[in-house]
Amino acid sequence: MARSEPGPASTPWTHWRRFATPPIEIKGLHYRYAASETEALRGVDLRVDEGEFVAVVGANGSGKSTLARLLGGLDKPSAARRAAACGHDLLTERGRWAARRAVGVLFQNPENQIVGENVEEDLAFGLENLAWPSERIRARVDEMVAAFGLGELRRREPHLLSGGQKQRTALAGVLAIPRKVLVLDEPTAMLDPAGRDEVLEAVERERAAGLTIVFVTQEMDEVVRADRVVALERGRVAFEGSPRELFAAPALVRRLSLGLPAAGALALALADLGAPLQPLPLTLDELVAALVGTSSGSGS
Amino acid sequence: MRTAIAQYYPAESALHSRDPRAKFVAVAAVAVALFTRDSFVALAVYGAAALVALAVSRVPLAWYWRGLKPVLWLIALTFVAQLFFVPGRALVALGPLKVSGRGLELASYLSLRLIVLVLVGSLVTLTTSPISLTDAIAWLGRPLRRVRVPTEEIALMMTIALRFIPTLLVETETIMRAQRARGAAFDRGGPLRRARALIPLLVPLFVLSFRRADELALAMEARCYRPGIVRTRMHPLHAGMGDWLLLAIAAAVIVLASLL
Amino acid sequence: MKGASERAGAASGVAIACQGVSFAYLEGDRGVKALNEVTFSLSAGATVALLGPTGSGKSTLLQAMRGLLEPNEGEVRLDGLSRGEPGFAERQREVGIVFQTPEMQLFAMSAFEDVSFGPRQLGWPTDDVRAAAEEAMEQVGLPVAVFGARHPYSLSGGEQRRLALAGVLAMRPRVLLLDEPFVSLDPVARRELAAVLRALVAGGIGLIVATHDVDHAWALCEERLVLDGGRLVASGPWRFGDGGEADLVQHRLAVPFPVRLWERLGRPLTGAPRSAEQAAEALVAPAARKGSG
Repeated sequence: MARSEPGPASTPWTHWRRFATPPIEIKGLHYRYAASETEALRGVDLRVDEGEFVAVVGANGSGKSTLARLLGGLDKPSAARRAAACGHDLLTERGRWAARRAVGVLFQNPENQIVGENVEEDLAFGLENLAWPSERIRARVDEMVAAFGLGELRRREPHLLSGGQKQRTALAGVLAIPRKVLVLDEPTAMLDPAGRDEVLEAVERERAAGLTIVFVTQEMDEVVRADRVVALERGRVAFEGSPRELFAAPALVRRLSLGLPAAGALALALADLGAPLQPLPLTLDELVAALVGTSSGSGS
Repeated sequence: MRTAIAQYYPAESALHSRDPRAKFVAVAAVAVALFTRDSFVALAVYGAAALVALAVSRVPLAWYWRGLKPVLWLIALTFVAQLFFVPGRALVALGPLKVSGRGLELASYLSLRLIVLVLVGSLVTLTTSPISLTDAIAWLGRPLRRVRVPTEEIALMMTIALRFIPTLLVETETIMRAQRARGAAFDRGGPLRRARALIPLLVPLFVLSFRRADELALAMEARCYRPGIVRTRMHPLHAGMGDWLLLAIAAAVIVLASLL
Repeated sequence: MKGASERAGAASGVAIACQGVSFAYLEGDRGVKALNEVTFSLSAGATVALLGPTGSGKSTLLQAMRGLLEPNEGEVRLDGLSRGEPGFAERQREVGIVFQTPEMQLFAMSAFEDVSFGPRQLGWPTDDVRAAAEEAMEQVGLPVAVFGARHPYSLSGGEQRRLALAGVLAMRPRVLLLDEPFVSLDPVARRELAAVLRALVAGGIGLIVATHDVDHAWALCEERLVLDGGRLVASGPWRFGDGGEADLVQHRLAVPFPVRLWERLGRPLTGAPRSAEQAAEALVAPAARKGSG
């Protein structure tokens, strides 16, 4: 529902276009902070196809947040062979402005994203910036309120919202502008479990509707649901593949200072005691199935 | 954590539904008129009009009283200053202090005028949501754009400032408590000592505020904001018959007060 | 000024109890009850997890326990003493509290100076202040030699959090109140912090941790207080088995992972493992031990 823009009917040309211009196409991306000697990103390649859900992980300082900002056109790359978001060239100012329209970015701190004096006003903010006519804004805000379950909170002031409600509001505000890509920078880091679930549910809905998603996170349980994981290490891509492949390499996980999903950590502890489970289970269900399948787990 | 600043009391009344620009202009005109002529009769007219508006606004009197409380000291000070220190024939003497007839007259007039002024101001702030007020000010200030005054941006700044006041208050309170738990004392010693004692409060507050500004700016840019753009509004201002009527009534009141 | 050996003996914590504590703050015209007749009693040296969804009153309760706000009703007792009784103020100074955002505490130009603030405010002689600050920084894994001169805001999130903790440890508290210490930390930083806390507990400090990281709470703490909407809905040692975990699920909290696993495997929940390593050991152990719970 974030993609309510009318588009051409599917033709061989549009199919080819889909393949030829992926939403995110980055080659050799470099970024250096103004006052810094070291580069935050040192030659990152990243390609995200339409509808994909890509997780980006890495230790603090690995460049994840910097990458998220650049993908949204919010900052200027120091250099790149190619840097395009939805076909817009991130190396030019005009391209970046266009990218801000097509790529939505949700940040970590729910408090510092809400501008409006109440939920409704905040949802309208982005659309007002795009100079949409008032009736279209009102209709779109109604849509978002319905889609994100904000009906009761419509007129509520931000400081009276819980963390999860704030982040849901912020997400609705970001997606009020119809987007092709959604980038999330550790959106659940400051939330309690209930708030996390609220936000993750909303993201899954968008994913199911076909939105391309880049999800930066430190929570390994959130990584498991991704189609693909990109792991950064000191500004470079150190790994790219499926979550399963990543977690099946504990030495790599350790080197990159990543954790494991809870099930994986437990399975790893078993492996250390000489009772490995193959393949490495990543969810509670998989762990239970693996244990019940062997002799050391059954409880009855 | 509520403050008295820009206190808004939501309700359904003839005043609440008026265009904020009309309210703003009406009140500004009355405020100016109040000061152009010193006359009890004029003041009585304005006072009566204010009381009528008060009744129409459907806001509980307690809220108007709350708006007066912060300036009570000023009213009292004005009253006392005029009462005792205006020369003239003494009506009553309390030791060395003389209360002159003229003093009593002035004291009453100035105090009452202050009260009417505050009431009239409260009529706007209590019946207009902060965002409508900033919209009104932005619209009224549009001519200033010709001389490069960024009225739109200022209006947005005011909206954001208002939105963050409760947040800032909580943060300040929390920082004070955290530092108090480490033995900081904010209420001891002379002015110099107290100023130094504020450092553990001010540094964190500034750091958090700068970080907030950074993050908020980024979030706003991510939603396609940039200074200088022309923005539409979800609820645009729309002046109707009722608003012109309000302006007409205000004008009538001013004319009446001037003539009597 | 307490030396290390004295501290190990005396640092058996402070017994904190709340009796009918209620606290409301004003929101516009209405009073919002942050705490509603909260009553519980903790023994000295207890390790307690304070659980509850955001807005349930955890922060308010911690602050009330430290005396940073006055309850509208009821009272907080430290070692059985009420406010105003001799010895209460002293006990209160021995309750250390670390807030959720380290940036709310850090203000000095160097890490060492910041950590020294607390002991200096307590009026300790200069040498004692220095010793306490150095020891505190060691305890949290930020050795003075490396981190002392660093500017607090140049440190990473995890380091800042540990620095704020050091600032409180330097005042030699006997019990530590922590408000959401794990939020926003990456997994490595969380593990490091948990290790620091475990070492502190082993040294005799009492611990009350408000957190929604239920897995770390389960590993660190022997008992829990569960708040929901300002009311205390559960207290005492963790209770899984006989539907005990309904405490958590009913109040929208997560259940620790090892416990969820044990439940799925049909194993008895009393004595469920506290960590991944313990769980692995229990799984690998001979099957005969399994039924004894």
